[in-house]
Amino acid sequence: MDPEVLSRFRAGDEAAVKAVYERYGRAVYAVTRSILRDEGLAADATQTTFLKAWQAAATYDPDRSFGPWIYAIARRAAIDLYRKEVRSVPTSEIELVDPGPSLESAWETFEVRVALDRLSEQDRQLIRMSHFEGLSHSEIAGLLGVPVGTVKSRSHRAHRRLYELLQHLLEM
Amino acid sequence: MTNDDRAKYLATGKGEIPDSGRLDMIRGLLSDPGVWTEPPSGVVDGIGAITVHESDLQPSRSRRLRVPLVVAAAAVSIAILGILGVFDRPVVEPSAVANLTGTELMPSASGTATVRDTSSGWAIRLELEGLPGAPAGSFYQGWAWSQEGEGVSIGTFHLRGGDYPVTLWAGVELSEYPWIWVTLQEEGAGPEASGLVLLRGRIDGLDR
Repeated sequence: MDPEVLSRFRAGDEAAVKAVYERYGRAVYAVTRSILRDEGLAADATQTTFLKAWQAAATYDPDRSFGPWIYAIARRAAIDLYRKEVRSVPTSEIELVDPGPSLESAWETFEVRVALDRLSEQDRQLIRMSHFEGLSHSEIAGLLGVPVGTVKSRSHRAHRRLYELLQHLLEM
Repeated sequence: MTNDDRAKYLATGKGEIPDSGRLDMIRGLLSDPGVWTEPPSGVVDGIGAITVHESDLQPSRSRRLRVPLVVAAAAVSIAILGILGVFDRPVVEPSAVANLTGTELMPSASGTATVRDTSSGWAIRLELEGLPGAPAGSFYQGWAWSQEGEGVSIGTFHLRGGDYPVTLWAGVELSEYPWIWVTLQEEGAGPEASGLVLLRGRIDGLDR
């Protein structure tokens, strides 16, 4: 994260909040969606996360990583929203249908989305087509209009880069 | 075992990798729609509108902000805003407020609608009191209403998490739709205003 942006963020600059959103907004949305399992609630929790981060920006220690700091705010915002939602539903219905907030893999979800956003658009697109859309190398080659060999080499490079960005998760 | 081997396993799921469980977990996340879904565009619009609003309420914070902007970061700010086209800071032109009063259906309700002209449209921030969370199967809907009796939806909400401020948006010229209404709507009942008007107020002071 650009230190200049973080410095302005700590000073409460609204434009810097939006720059931070550009970097972390998708990851925060991914983690709140993963916890809440509802897109509308995740949007609310994402908005709350950035507003709380903005309000608490002066407490952020620039010597520490920004990702874990905003992740903690997002996780708390999602859990708080979940509890408010639960309070508005009759207890009998909660027991029947609600398995509780999903905290499993929340941190990994956040980190994977942050890593994807740090890849080039081309690398991200290849990984999306391969994993999310389930396309083979030859299908991707057909869609992109490039030789299969090119897809293979780009795919390897993209996964190598992604692996490097996520290596810390694998050492846990 | 090299990083290339692990990267290859991350790509294909094939190969002999000790402790491949973490890699499998990441592979699972890469195929999860939740990781790839984009947040709705309204999220950042809401953040922009509320931070501008809150800054107006906190002059000391605004002062802290503007010094570095002027002295050191003007060029950086312009560059960032240019790159992030959708993140254009809302233009804070003269704002106006509508005092909302509860109708006979909800006489205990009251509130304000503060409107601001932004680069994305009119941001309408509702701060309401005495309006409980919408009952199950229903929701609240905001409307901008013209003098001629034409209404335009400005968004929906439910307040089940508490009476926090709600930011709604209008793409029409509010000087032509100066009345703000809040109605109670039934889910599945169609897009028209229900007629159950709970709060109503007129925006005054829209000088553009």
